[in-house]
Parts: sequence; structure tokens; C-alpha cells
Amino acid sequence: MRRRRFGPSVLMLCALLVAPLQTTSYAAVIGTEHYLGALERDQALERIDAALAREEVRERLEQLGVDPAEALARASALSDAELVALAENLEELPAGGILGVIGVVFIVLLILELVGVTNVFNKI
Amino acid sequence: MQALAAFRDACRPAALRLAIAVAALALAGCASAPRLDGASLPAIELADVPFFPQTEYQCGPAALATILAHEGLAVDADMLAPAVYIEELRGSLQAELLAATRRHGLVPYRLEPEPGALFAEVSSGKPVLVLQNLGVDRLPIWHYAVVVGFDPERGDVLLRSGTERRRRERVNRFLRSWARADNWAFVAAPPDEPPATADADGWIRATVDARRVLPPQSTEAALETARSRWPAEPLVLYASAVHAGDAGRWHEAARDYAALLAIDPGNAAARNNLANMLAEGQCFAAAEREARAALAAIAPQSPLRPAILDSVETIARSTGGADAEPDYCAEFD
Repeated sequence: MRRRRFGPSVLMLCALLVAPLQTTSYAAVIGTEHYLGALERDQALERIDAALAREEVRERLEQLGVDPAEALARASALSDAELVALAENLEELPAGGILGVIGVVFIVLLILELVGVTNVFNKI
Repeated sequence: MQALAAFRDACRPAALRLAIAVAALALAGCASAPRLDGASLPAIELADVPFFPQTEYQCGPAALATILAHEGLAVDADMLAPAVYIEELRGSLQAELLAATRRHGLVPYRLEPEPGALFAEVSSGKPVLVLQNLGVDRLPIWHYAVVVGFDPERGDVLLRSGTERRRRERVNRFLRSWARADNWAFVAAPPDEPPATADADGWIRATVDARRVLPPQSTEAALETARSRWPAEPLVLYASAVHAGDAGRWHEAARDYAALLAIDPGNAAARNNLANMLAEGQCFAAAEREARAALAAIAPQSPLRPAILDSVETIARSTGGADAEPDYCAEFD
């Protein structure tokens, strides 16, 4: 499995430097998302991953033609786990949408359809 | 499945092509879901679920509009396209459908990936947005549709799909196409109405994932509903306590953590948070005791350890001027 690297290392360094500063008086509470993340993964940097992943996903959406303001809002509505998954392999995930099918794919699927494996075409 | 890749080469004798197609078929046939008797389907049809015919590759926005409009939102497919459609991929990503649901004030709840959950949700009145792979594993054709009912007499699943308002699919064909998409499905739930098949952990996860986007009163409503439905579930208590603490209600939060720890004494994260809440309420003796107990309970390699160490140090620094503590601290002795 290919694993995308997160952003420039400078950004990682900044995140590491900033992280300790947020511990003011009694702010060492472990939030629910952090808690759940720790239950599922043994990755100490999971929170930083999510922040970097958000930036990566936003940029990727822009590159794929999404309006910049909308890309920011879209990335902001994703959960930490979703962000990390999208940052790793956005292009390889299912993108539902196809209505028409073309070329050799059509022929293969037509055969499969006729013998009842698939159901792309409704009224054959 | 190399056979399918080879099929792209144009110059091959017709007989070989046929052989390849047959081989592809045999392989595709392996990945079938268990067969289900159509007559055992629940007899239900949610006839009033609206329909938004899809244009071009936009089945994502259309299917999403279908379930959001059913919850009373004034949306249509064109309005939702900017939030979920990706022109270059000619489609919409699953995670983005969930994200857009959150942006409209609803909690997207992922169903258990099995037919029983799908039947139960539709029977309870919820249209279910599903991902289907209408092709085969190596030649996927991803498609979103909304299940609105079942016809046990004919053994059909009824869908709002593509340009068809009431599409029928044979149940086993449908289940195969759904299984090829890992049985992915979700419903859009109002924050105070967990769906029929929701369990405590799933609902809390869905709520926490939506928390950054939902209005605060919606998160509050989702947690309150969870409290009344699953009053003794540790994760429900945990999330409620974190929420109360964030809102400055340390005493309420401390009580929830204490209730959780009575059920699950080894929960170091909850004990750490209890320590912080007690320190906030100036109950330093109890805070220090709980912080140290949390540190003793956490595994050395746990990603939560740094936060707990931080609590121990911060609280130890605060306990210097040991004046008499407020009376209410006795509750946590």
C-alpha cells in the first residue's frame, strides 16, 4: 500500500513546537475523539496527523477543481479518521457517480449483466 | 483478474476473447453474497421519500438530497453538488457525503454492514443511502442510491436511483452489488433521534465526529438523548463529561467521570479528566490523588500517557498553598 507523506516537514516541526504550548492550567483533559483514537490506534501523533491531513485534503480538493472556500468548509466537516484516510489515498477511494459506461468496459459488463452477475443496465 | 486487464488489448482472436470473458465471469461469480429468500423481506415502502433525478455523474448529490429532504430540509441535488461533487473524479467520496450531512445539522450514522440493519432502518421509516458497485471488483462502477422499501411478493428492493424514481432490483442482485461496496450505508438522523439500529458507542462516535460542525445545542441534544437511552454506558458518560467540562461545568463533569469510574475503575483517561475537573473546582487533594492513580493505571506505551503526565505535573504545581478546601470537595474524597 502506498502511503502519502504528510506535507512539508516544516509544518510537522511547527505542529510539534506548538503542541506543548496549549497546555495551560488544567487543559490536560483527554477529549472524546482523542480517547477513541487512542483506543483504536497506537499512534501518539494521531492528533497532529489530523491537523496536517486536514490541510492536505483541502489542498487536494482544490487541485481537483473544488472552489477554495468550499474546499476549506468541506475539509473542516470531516472527522479525524476520515481526514487521515483521505489524505492517504483520496484518488483510490470509491467516488460514486457513474451513470454511463464506455468502451470495452461496456462490453465486459454487458456480458456479465446478461448472465446475471451485475446489474448496471436495468432493462436488458 | 489479469484476464480483464488483458481484455483491453484489441488484437486478439474472437475465441480467445470469449474465453477471457468466461474466465472473468467465473472469477466475478466467486465474490457473491449469501443468498436471501425474497419472501422474507419486510413488506414496507416509504412512498413519500422525495426523488431527485441525477444528472451526469451526480448520483452523490442526488442521493444525499433524497435523505436530507426526507428529514425536512429544503435542499436539492444542485444545491448539494458544490459540497460533495468532485469534477475531476466525476463522483463523490463517501466521507464527503457524511461531512455534508453534518453541515446540514444532521448526524450521519453508518449502519452495521449487514442486510439486517438495512431492513430494520427502512422498516423504522428511514430511507438508507447505500453505495453499490454495479460492476465487478476489478472494474468497479460506484453508484449511490437510496433504499426506500422492499417487495417480498416479487423479492425486490425498491430504490430511488439515478434517473428512476422507483427502481426495482432483485434482492440478491442488489445485495451482491452492495457487498461489492463493503455493505456501506448510512442514514441521516436528527441530533435528538438516534436511528433504530444505533448503539451507544456508534451514536457517540457519530456525534463526536459531527461536533466540530454541528451547532453546540445540537451536540448537547445528541448527548442528552444518549444519556436517556443508554444511561449506564461508559462511552456515553465519558462524552457527556467532556462536553460538560468544555462548557465550564466542572462539577457536573466530575460526577459523570466518577459514575463512569464506578463501572470501569481501570479507565485511566476518565481518571485523568476527573483529576483535571477536581483541580478546576479547587479540590486539589482529590485531584492529585486521581492524577497519580491515572498515571499508575496507564500502559507505558499508551498515546494517552503524555497527557496524564502533564496532569500530574500541573496539578502538583497548583497544590502548593494548601488552604482549607471548599466543603463540596468531600463528595470526591
